[in-house]
Amino acid sequence: MAKTFQRSHQLAGGSVVVLSTLLLSVLAWAQAWGQDNVVPPSTSQVPFSQDCQIGDIAVATESPLPNVAAALRQRKQIKILAFGASSSVKQGPMRRGHTEETRQILQRAITGLNVIMINRGVGGELSSQAAERIQNDVALNEPDMVLWQVGTEDALAYTPLAELETTIIDTVRWLKQHKVDIVLVGLQYVDRMERDEHYRAVRQLLNRISASENVMIVRRYEAQKQLARTQLNGSNPFQDEFERSEAGYVCLAQYLARAITIGIFRERGRPLPNPNLPRPSN
Amino acid sequence: MIRQVNPVDFWRGIALVSIFINHIPGIYYSRFTHTAYSISDSADLFVFLAGWALRYMVGAPSSKMPAWYLTLRLWGRAITLYMAQIVITMIALAILAGVALWLNNPLLLEWHNAAAVFNDPGQTLVGLALITHQLGYFNILPLYVLLMTMAPVFVLVDRVSPHLVLPLSLLIYGLTLGFQVSIPTWPIEGEWFFNPLAWQLLFVLGFVLAREDGIGGLIRRHMQAIRLIALPILIIGVFLTYYGWWIDPTEVPTPKLYFLLSKTYATPPRVFQFLALVAVMSVTYPYIKQFASWLVEFLAMLGRNSLYVFCISSILSLVGQIVRFLYQGSVYIDTTVVICGILIMAFTAWLLEWRKRFNDRISLRVAASSS
Repeated sequence: MAKTFQRSHQLAGGSVVVLSTLLLSVLAWAQAWGQDNVVPPSTSQVPFSQDCQIGDIAVATESPLPNVAAALRQRKQIKILAFGASSSVKQGPMRRGHTEETRQILQRAITGLNVIMINRGVGGELSSQAAERIQNDVALNEPDMVLWQVGTEDALAYTPLAELETTIIDTVRWLKQHKVDIVLVGLQYVDRMERDEHYRAVRQLLNRISASENVMIVRRYEAQKQLARTQLNGSNPFQDEFERSEAGYVCLAQYLARAITIGIFRERGRPLPNPNLPRPSN
Repeated sequence: MIRQVNPVDFWRGIALVSIFINHIPGIYYSRFTHTAYSISDSADLFVFLAGWALRYMVGAPSSKMPAWYLTLRLWGRAITLYMAQIVITMIALAILAGVALWLNNPLLLEWHNAAAVFNDPGQTLVGLALITHQLGYFNILPLYVLLMTMAPVFVLVDRVSPHLVLPLSLLIYGLTLGFQVSIPTWPIEGEWFFNPLAWQLLFVLGFVLAREDGIGGLIRRHMQAIRLIALPILIIGVFLTYYGWWIDPTEVPTPKLYFLLSKTYATPPRVFQFLALVAVMSVTYPYIKQFASWLVEFLAMLGRNSLYVFCISSILSLVGQIVRFLYQGSVYIDTTVVICGILIMAFTAWLLEWRKRFNDRISLRVAASSS
């Protein structure tokens, strides 16, 4: 009896500990949500339009964005500094820069989030020139994240790969050191450039850097290539490669928003509600 | 009547050649321009000399030219520069579109901030007309247009109180850097690559230092001492540029722009280094003229026709980039691009002067026959 009581007591004690832990976890979780007042989106809230559906291709590598997540937690506001070429995209009756479109998608998707997007793209700029400006603009604007479309201009100018690699890695490390997350945006897909060795090498270099430095890269090339294949299958309304180029920016805005959202909520340890999130393919 | 060879045209010629080379990113010969070893670059020289030339254009503060006439003249020049910007931008867009169609490669439409023009011509054409949308490497003339539009203010203040021009310019510069004031671009959100409110300082410095009296005279009288101070600044600048030594931008005091190395804002370290460069290099002109007079004649010819040569060199830089892309950039291709480019720039200048001489001869003959 005494043994039974003792076992019951132990069981009860164990249960209390387990329940208390669970309760505390739930409370902590609930408190975190309460403090944040930020609702994690489902992928349906960061949707791809019909023209940007790319099947199973992973839009981005799954690297966390800890500083953006922290900013979201503390301020409900994230500041993004965008570098690289930009174009305007048409959404409904409005036209705006594709980074501005990304900002609006993010704000719509994550309730309570305020996104500040600062565009500092300069046309024709090599990565080495952008790298200098990135450091200055980080000092001036104190962003939580840098969005860097990198490589296209260097590929066209035949920048030596070793030089490009050093520039990007140094910049990525500098940003990490200064608690700024970085999302790289890869090269564009163009049929003609498939056979260009240097273009391919730059693309591979970016993927390699993303893996070795554990930074997120938006796989623009792979996504656009998939869109082009879809078009060839006759299920896409784009007529030629030139139109595809324009549509590429519309999709890029959506891919960026999705990638950033994944990065934020992966870091917070809260998987997005939709289990069918694209997985990295490499 | 064609101007005699002078230092301003010579240095302007150097700036033009240097800008042509440096506007072809990745080109082998950029390592031989002063940009590779200097905090400032040819853009600073170009703007400074534009201010210097403004002094010649408006004359001494005692000039009898009415203020309204002076203002109209300067704005007329601004309109000429504006038209030049529109023309070269349209030619650049046509080149990009033509090559993209020829190669069936839409990637070329994305180059140099051109994507918005082709994706959203409605808004972007308005932006091009308002010079709020600028192609990459086609952004110096918009700066020059705004500087020339602002120029009447500085010129008229110079007439009333010459000692106030530089403080006024410094005040605008200080506030711009202090509060990080920028000129926005549209329809693509961003800021002007060359901030006119900051770059006006170099323009005004050129204008003020070109004066024979006042601060210009003072500097000339103490040039030897100034060069002694300038030389170490220049040498330090070479090391800073070559080895990338500078304080971490996040660690500089506030207002940060006073201490950063920013081209957009022509920040103080850049301006100081540029002035040191001017002070030191100005001593070399007589020697270059003595030992390489052909070079001085050649570069001064480019400098005398700077607007046309600049326009043609901007187009040539773009063509050079396309050629490098097509032939996968090598020293041989780069050499061909540079030689052909400089020859075409020289031909442009020669043609303009030939036409001028021809017109002068005709005028003389008409005058002789009528008398």
